Amino acid sequence: MKLKFPYKIALQLFFAAAVSGWVLPTTAKAQSVSATATLDSTLMVIGGQMQLQLELRQPEGLQVSFPQLTDTLTGKIEIVSAAPIDSTIMGDGRVQISQALTITSFDSGLHYIPPLYFEYREGSEQRRAATREQALMVVNPFKEVDPEKGFMDLKEAMNLPFSMAELLPYFKWFILFNLLQLLVAAFVIYLQRSKKTIKQIFIPEKPKEPAHVVALRELERIKSEKLWQTGQVKTFYSQLTEVLRRYLEDRYHFPALEQTSGEILRQMKHEDLAGSDLLPKLRTVLETADLAKFARFEPLADENNTALANTYFFVNQTKLESLPESPESQDKTKAKNDEEKQMVK
Amino acid sequence: MNQTVDIKELNERIQKESSFVDLLTLEMNKVIVGQKHLVESLLTGLLADGHILLEGVPGLAKTLAINTLATIVDAQFSRIQFTPDLLPADLLGTMIYSQKNESFVVKKGPIFTNFVLADEINRAPAKVQSALLEAMQERQVTLGDQTYKLPEPFLVLATQNPIEQEGTYPLPEAQVDRFMLKVVISYPEKNEEQQIIRHNLAQSFPQASKILKPDDIVRARKVVKDVYMDEKIEKYIVDIVFATRFPENYKLERFKEMISYGASPRASISLAAAAKAYAFIKRRGYVIPEDVRAVCHDVMRHRIGLSYEAEANNLSTEEIISEILNTVEVP
Repeated sequence: MKLKFPYKIALQLFFAAAVSGWVLPTTAKAQSVSATATLDSTLMVIGGQMQLQLELRQPEGLQVSFPQLTDTLTGKIEIVSAAPIDSTIMGDGRVQISQALTITSFDSGLHYIPPLYFEYREGSEQRRAATREQALMVVNPFKEVDPEKGFMDLKEAMNLPFSMAELLPYFKWFILFNLLQLLVAAFVIYLQRSKKTIKQIFIPEKPKEPAHVVALRELERIKSEKLWQTGQVKTFYSQLTEVLRRYLEDRYHFPALEQTSGEILRQMKHEDLAGSDLLPKLRTVLETADLAKFARFEPLADENNTALANTYFFVNQTKLESLPESPESQDKTKAKNDEEKQMVK
Repeated sequence: MNQTVDIKELNERIQKESSFVDLLTLEMNKVIVGQKHLVESLLTGLLADGHILLEGVPGLAKTLAINTLATIVDAQFSRIQFTPDLLPADLLGTMIYSQKNESFVVKKGPIFTNFVLADEINRAPAKVQSALLEAMQERQVTLGDQTYKLPEPFLVLATQNPIEQEGTYPLPEAQVDRFMLKVVISYPEKNEEQQIIRHNLAQSFPQASKILKPDDIVRARKVVKDVYMDEKIEKYIVDIVFATRFPENYKLERFKEMISYGASPRASISLAAAAKAYAFIKRRGYVIPEDVRAVCHDVMRHRIGLSYEAEANNLSTEEIISEILNTVEVP
């Protein structure tokens, strides 16, 4: 087969390059000892790192010393780390000894790695095997700094969004356990609440007695105890005002028990009282009570009776009575009660 | 109405002795525009024989008020500006060597007067504050080896400025407790301020008349002590004070963590005395719960310690006192 001219030239160049060590790994042989140095690539980004693999093939038992390298391979190529020396038995009484060097460079341009020498003794002769020199192109991918543009501040630290997935491998069982606990707790709460709801629907609370019913009953009690008649004037007025205050608190919804007589009267001025004589009667009761309670006054029998009568009058005039239910609403209530009983069953 | 003799007699006495109160208030109001609470508190302190700590920004007629009171009572008045370099001797007096007599003679300080205005008391160091507060408590001053009684009536009105705290010496809790009342005064109302402008621009300041003698105040104080306080009112006062110490016992659990220390027994005494004085001002011979409530804030506000939780929640002693008054049952 006759090759065309361009292909012939290319083939010749390839053989020339292979012989000079530019394409094929660089190898040095000294009789039975051969040394090679292989780079991961001939191109490296400035500051980047790559491996320089050193390999030595030799007969078993031969003492060969590796080149003594510190932290620099050449002036512009630095050794970052050196892996431990490893040996592999190849058979036929030969072994392969290898070491990986991690190298880097902080200078751009084409750098030459010089031959590395492995020394050994063969009989009485001192020999050495050398790797072939190599070229490493270090390129700078960054833009050139233009000082004329002025100085720029350092860039801010980048914040990456937090993702729960990052935690998952570490807390997988913990999260699962907690989720299980939450589910159990939610189920228990649900059960309890559902019980409570049933209770609230079907067992109605006992209705509170109307304020006037309580007040009138207490006034009856005070009347029957005949306190002022037996000289207990102070106790009589204390109990009378307490009943009155409690009634005002429940009826008009303001803290009458914690208020003074003046404050109660001021409050009652804003209330819509049925009769114009109610407020003066209330004032008389409270003021007479204050005198009896705090100033050792002993009101006359008439005044005591008036105080009690005025209190009765005030409660009766201001009481809130519920209207009697119409037959229609009574039917509705009955139907509702029956429905509830059915639900309970 | 049939009355027991004691109360009837007491009421008559009080009606007679307290007749000056209206006149005094009238004279005060001639000079001091607004500040009704300040005037009332001054009277309460004066009649209850207690000293007053006044808190308010400058220019609210503090000096004018006590000066006017001194004029009306025809009493002596001193104003002492408390500064960081003030010494106890500048206040109390000292012994100085007389070359003429070849002996040490006593030079009494400005505290030897009826009414003292201790302006910005928190600007003076602790030793001066202590000297003043000791004199207030003991009603006497010892210079050299001689003890001198302070004149009667003796009323100290100390002021504190709430807005400038830098370079001040805040009064310790134990010292503040010696003031019967802590009165917080606020700005006048719009119409009052208008009146103040008119008075000042017209340069026609009304003058208060001398209507009392210091002895009248001493006599009135004795009557105030006789104002009847029922056992129920005493219990009410005790309840209020105890609510500051054990709020959880008064359905105020939420204040348990907010109060670092409650009011002292001195608070109970002061509350009772101030309530009696207030009843006297209202020309009554007996104390009612209204009197206690009227003076409660002034008596208690400087006697309750707030915790960090309260400060973090912006809770003030005012709110605590109001809540206590709204919770403790009135007799």
